[in-house]
Amino acid sequence: MTDTAVRKRHTGPAQSKKPVAVKEEEDLKKASQHAQSIKGVRLGDSRDKISLLVFTALALLMRWIYIGFPSEVVFDEVHFGKFLGHYLKHAYFFDVHPPLAKLTLTAAGKLIGYDGHFDFASIGDNYIENRVPHVFLRSVPATFGALCVPIVYLIMRDSGYNYLTCLFTTTMYLFDNALVGQSRLILLDSQLIFYMLCTIYSYVRFSKARHQEFSAEWYTWLLATGVSMAMTLSVKMVGLFIVAAVGLATISDLWSLMDVRRGLELTHVAKHFYARAVALIIVPTFVYLFWFWIHFSILDTSGPGDNFMSAAFQATLKGNPLTEQAIKVYYNDSITIQHRDTENFLFSWDKTYPLRYDDGRISSKGHQVSANSDPNDEGNIWQVLQTGDDISGQLTPVRHGDIIQLRHVKTDRLLMTHDVASPLLPTNTEFTTAEEGDEEKYEDTLFELRFDVLDLGRQLQSQMIHFQLIHVPTGVSMFSQTKKWPEWGVFKHDVNGNKKIIDRANRWIVKDVIGREPGEDKDEEGTKVDSMSFLHKFLELQSKMLSENNKLVAEHPYMSTPISWLVPTKGISYWHNPVSKGQIYLAGNVVGWVLGLASIAIYCGIGLADIVAQRRGFDLIDEPVRRRFQYSGGFLALLYALHYLPFYVMGRALFLHHYLPAVTVLYMLMGAVFEFMFIEGTTSPASNLVRNESEMKNHRPKVAANISTMRSMLTKTSYIAAAIIVIAQIGFFMWMVPLTYGTNMGSEMVKLHQIFGWELHFAK
Amino acid sequence: MSEKQKEEFIKPKITSAHDYRAYFRQALDASKRQPFTDFQIAAFVTVIAGIVRLYKIWEPTSVVFDEVHFGKFAGKYINHTYFFDVHPPLAKLLIAGVGSVAGYDGLFDFNNIGDDYLAPAVPYVSMRLFCGILGLLTIPMSYITVKASGHSTAAALVAATLVCFENGFVANNRLILLDSPLLFFISFTIMAWMKFSDPRLQPFSFQWKIWLFLTGLGLGCSISSKWVGLFTIATVGCSTIKGLWDIWGDLSVSPSGFGRHFINRVLYLIIVPILIYIFAFGVHFTALPLSGDGDTHMSPAFQQTLKGNEAPATRADVAYNSIISIRHLKTNGGYLHSHSSRYETGSEQQQITLYSFRDDNNLWKIRKGGEDQVENADELEWVKNGDIIRLEHVSTSPIMLHSHDHRPPVTEEEYHNEVSGYGFKDYEGDANDYWRVEIVDHSSSSPAAGERLQALRSVFRLIHINEGCTLFSHSVKLPKWAFDQQEVTCIKGGTMPKTQWYIEQNDHPLLNETAELVSYENPGFFKKFLELNKVMWTSNAGLVDSHPYDSRPPSWPILQRGISMWSQDEKQIYLLGNPLIYWGSTWAIFSYLIVRGVLILRQQRGYSDKIGIAGRYFQDSIGFYVAGWTFHFLPFLLMGRQLFLHHYMPALYFGILGFAAVFDLLTKNLRSTKKILATTVLIAVIVGVFMVYAPITYGTTWTRDDCLRSKVMDKWDYSCDTYLDRNPLKPIITEAPSIHLQEESAHLEVVSANDKDMNVETKSESPMQPTPSAPMDEHSGEFGDEEDGDDEWYRLNRPGDPEEEEEEEDEDDEEDDEDDEEE
Repeated sequence: MTDTAVRKRHTGPAQSKKPVAVKEEEDLKKASQHAQSIKGVRLGDSRDKISLLVFTALALLMRWIYIGFPSEVVFDEVHFGKFLGHYLKHAYFFDVHPPLAKLTLTAAGKLIGYDGHFDFASIGDNYIENRVPHVFLRSVPATFGALCVPIVYLIMRDSGYNYLTCLFTTTMYLFDNALVGQSRLILLDSQLIFYMLCTIYSYVRFSKARHQEFSAEWYTWLLATGVSMAMTLSVKMVGLFIVAAVGLATISDLWSLMDVRRGLELTHVAKHFYARAVALIIVPTFVYLFWFWIHFSILDTSGPGDNFMSAAFQATLKGNPLTEQAIKVYYNDSITIQHRDTENFLFSWDKTYPLRYDDGRISSKGHQVSANSDPNDEGNIWQVLQTGDDISGQLTPVRHGDIIQLRHVKTDRLLMTHDVASPLLPTNTEFTTAEEGDEEKYEDTLFELRFDVLDLGRQLQSQMIHFQLIHVPTGVSMFSQTKKWPEWGVFKHDVNGNKKIIDRANRWIVKDVIGREPGEDKDEEGTKVDSMSFLHKFLELQSKMLSENNKLVAEHPYMSTPISWLVPTKGISYWHNPVSKGQIYLAGNVVGWVLGLASIAIYCGIGLADIVAQRRGFDLIDEPVRRRFQYSGGFLALLYALHYLPFYVMGRALFLHHYLPAVTVLYMLMGAVFEFMFIEGTTSPASNLVRNESEMKNHRPKVAANISTMRSMLTKTSYIAAAIIVIAQIGFFMWMVPLTYGTNMGSEMVKLHQIFGWELHFAK
Repeated sequence: MSEKQKEEFIKPKITSAHDYRAYFRQALDASKRQPFTDFQIAAFVTVIAGIVRLYKIWEPTSVVFDEVHFGKFAGKYINHTYFFDVHPPLAKLLIAGVGSVAGYDGLFDFNNIGDDYLAPAVPYVSMRLFCGILGLLTIPMSYITVKASGHSTAAALVAATLVCFENGFVANNRLILLDSPLLFFISFTIMAWMKFSDPRLQPFSFQWKIWLFLTGLGLGCSISSKWVGLFTIATVGCSTIKGLWDIWGDLSVSPSGFGRHFINRVLYLIIVPILIYIFAFGVHFTALPLSGDGDTHMSPAFQQTLKGNEAPATRADVAYNSIISIRHLKTNGGYLHSHSSRYETGSEQQQITLYSFRDDNNLWKIRKGGEDQVENADELEWVKNGDIIRLEHVSTSPIMLHSHDHRPPVTEEEYHNEVSGYGFKDYEGDANDYWRVEIVDHSSSSPAAGERLQALRSVFRLIHINEGCTLFSHSVKLPKWAFDQQEVTCIKGGTMPKTQWYIEQNDHPLLNETAELVSYENPGFFKKFLELNKVMWTSNAGLVDSHPYDSRPPSWPILQRGISMWSQDEKQIYLLGNPLIYWGSTWAIFSYLIVRGVLILRQQRGYSDKIGIAGRYFQDSIGFYVAGWTFHFLPFLLMGRQLFLHHYMPALYFGILGFAAVFDLLTKNLRSTKKILATTVLIAVIVGVFMVYAPITYGTTWTRDDCLRSKVMDKWDYSCDTYLDRNPLKPIITEAPSIHLQEESAHLEVVSANDKDMNVETKSESPMQPTPSAPMDEHSGEFGDEEDGDDEWYRLNRPGDPEEEEEEEDEDDEEDDEDDEEE
């Protein structure tokens, strides 16, 4: 494949190797011809308008048709429908995705007067019975999905591809089952792809305007790139890939601007740099933050997402149970202390450690301090003592950073630790108790309270505040684990001093304050809602989103590996109904995806072959063709790589629909490869043509001739190839229609569709 | 030394400006003019290195750090019992070979750090000597490497000195660990590669091929010792690609000439290492023919190739009323199992789990399912594909395998159903006991196994009729009340690989003696090889436990923290590098990167920095070492597993070579006297710093004050309380208590007090372990430390009542299990 393609290039432009004098004359002639035909190349042509119109109409039709069916909850509508309800009820929820797409859906819901009463509990729940305006809600993602189609056309057209290539690419893209299916449901992906395409389009327009630097047009498209990039990121974190792609393209762009042969002053380059920094870093940051600001403004009431957040955050939510149940802790209060992870209570009694353990090590023979699983044991009670000189009277609140002592109420001794190996972990220190008033051990009984970063300013409260107990002299942190002590320790759980302060397992909470009930001290401050700065909230949520995203590793029946996406050997069963015998199965158009894969192979093969050949001094490809192939094709290849390869290093559970942004790019790359293979030459960058035209106008034909220009030539092969591929694509699309739209299928038909071992449902 | 340096190469005058290799060539020729040959200098360096590296190698006389593992593995090789480790076998085989020759009988079990070697007469000195010698050979090799890449003798000596007096290398490379063989092979590879890159070599000459072959040999040995060798392959690989690119661009080389270049490199740098790697595993399997504690990591087919573990042949044909055991295909979780304990969640019916050992509780009786279906006791009726069956648990009969709309205990997902054992006397069970057999795969030798169930030959799914879910298991442990056994669920939708099962044991009263027997197919070497590598990969990635002395890669180049490897009495070994060398090499690398970056930037802006031919030569030479450092360091940043300072050692080796090259660049224009002075001062300082930290490197005595003074960084957490206040003229060789008294009194000064009673107690006892220096081995509790009981229990084939089972559970959770047992 590669070889023939290269050879074909080689034979094509033989006329360009003619003697210089003749060439110059020819070039002049050619240049004037170009000037004549430029109008046909630029966008705004009536055929473009018609194409756009037809594609948009078709795309809308394909998505809107039958959109109310099934009138049941399908796949992840479970989640996003739920979130929509939470937004409408202002109840705080947690999701790993940024808010924009969900906010759009919420706006739509609000518009039609949906109040969020339905809980989207499980797949298959009926919408009509539950009075959910699902048709309207679904039409929002469907519209976004449909609008992707004309943008694909625009991107190809503005990148300078032949009209046929644009038609070819857009048609291929239009008839992809996975993209159609995914955008007909209440899901986020169609918005993601829409904004991603907007970014690409803006960047293409920006690149086209590069010869009118700092013009209004230039600024507009630069800014549009930044904003749509931020919008992509605000839909899903996958938007980071488009940010990376634009970033890399910008760096390479700046690098070539810096090239001394460009002859630009450094200050001039700096101006370029600043413009990009503002438009591509600062503006997007604000756009991204803005959606979170909206998010927090809407979700001001306590809800199902409370538990994901820190106590300080939860306290900002109206009606949150924490503020209502928490009891403030003052010095001399008696409390029980619970280990956060194991939920055991800090405990002591008058049993002592055995002098010598089984492995021959020696203990301090002090009182045992362990963790107790019985919440009602009297040995769990500790009294918080104030230390230092300024011990005041009643009601001194316990705060972060305080140095405290803990008195074990039952044995009347003070908690301490020292440089003695703990029974189970020789690297950790042993906890024991000391007699009150033992001067020698006074230092060892001092502990510093350390709260979670976000709760620093607050008073110690039961239930709410996670803290660590850091031993002052040795700096170890009190730690407990599920391991139990042997017989001498009556199988209590291990407690010891951990040198790794940042360990998550070092966190404790106050469970109960003895003799006080929640709400007693309410009159002091009331249950007013705390405030927290937006930036703090944002940072907390953001870090939580990232960490929770990595935790999505649970085995799911339809999860798949990135390698299985290339040829869609495994899809996702979204919905099925045994009664109506319909099912929705997400899988790509095999024709398009396989050809896409082939395009990648061809692109890489030709690119590599060209580089290797050039190294040996062979110049097989015309310069304008090569530039188009390298720059436009290269940008698409980069986009594809960035939207696909990172999934290989992701630990989380992956699904086929994660591949859809990459597929979108893949179709455009397929167009680029199509043009390279089946269309002679290429239309030179429009900017060249424009320059050429203006030079001609200024009567400087020689200069114009130096600007390398070329027009693409359609041959019969071009039409035949395009026709065959497009027919195959549409044919396969039609064949898969029942699986995409969920229409009725007999079991014979299901069997027919079970290719690659797709896991389809057979009605019983 | 000064003599040698007087004859430094004179600044070369090169006319052919386009070939900076001429500079290289001239630099290499310069060493011919020095009074001592490189061989003599290398020999001299080796002698010094021998003294530094092997000093008191017999001390400590007890197990240090990961000798726990690698000593143990040597024992396993000598006893031929199968074990599992995440590292490839070559280095371990070498250590075992030395141990075997030295008379180690493999009986000493290397259980704990600090176990005494002397009483059981373990020939640990020979084993350490072997590692120590491999380690010290890197020193002359670093000299030769730097020399061969065209740098001055002074630079080469600096490299050798740095490698020699690097405290971390010294402390680590004299112990029975894999790092010194690895470092030896890497260093050898780089030396051979540098020799190969000599521009004076005629392509395809004998010498050229020899060095190319030796590079491949070194690569093969590196990768066969530890997978870090992959990074060395990447380093040499990139260098090769660059070289080939240059040759391709050289139009004077014909395409066929290029082809020869290409083929030779493929042969020696790809084929040779692969053969060595496979060969090492071949020896590994041959050396371990007996069943051992590594069995459970492997697939059943693999296990039965080990003596003492052969699965008995079983009847092939499965009929109704057959008593069978069912094994899960995609995890090593074992057999479908039940016992008379109940779930504490969901339906609270009898538990169904996966259990990895053979046991009567794994036995099930196949019965017919579906309405009004009764199996005929007098007749053999095969179980066919698509049949509806019930599975009756034999030892708790009439409990049946059952599933229903409850969520499983751990995987509380909507699409998982709980699987339980349900049934009681005189109750025929209900429709939730019905499962459909769906054969998904069968061994190609027996087509019948695709039609009906055959033991070992048919791979099948069990589909629950009512819920439409499929019997499934995954490596998720149930809570303690289910003895940490593996969870079994029924998963809806999807045909995941983890829904596949096969029958391992099969017996039927009506099957006579002549009925066909079937046993596991022998997987053959390559299948075993691939399987072991796969298991190594997953286990390696699974080493995520935290360890008190683990560290993240960003802390390595600045030497933020070390590792406590051993401590006893008033001595300790703490793996800490020579800080000057760590910081110096890091500085050299980053200065190179910054300078190079600035130069590229300036070039883009059109400033002509005439770096000249010499500049380009240095750019390439230092660039290679920096690339080596990068390849051996950056990948660790992406690794999630537990990491240690000693993982930085290969990168540090490249860092040192880079430092030497940078040193050469800086001193290039100095007059020879100044150059000698600079070299001498540098070496003296390095040795001086080495001496400061020598006590924790060799584990010798120190004073507390010196110790405290040496702590330049807070996070270096070796315990100074271990040491005496003053350096005693003679070390106190008395009973442990008196030494400990000293430790205690030292302790009194920092911490306010210790219990007086305690002091009295400790006098009569062995010393209390001071916490901060307690060493732990690298993979404590990860593998290889199973209870001895496993094998024994396995042979006895005791009926598995849960109370005892958990004692024998998979070693991963051994510690947890011990606790449960007491409950």
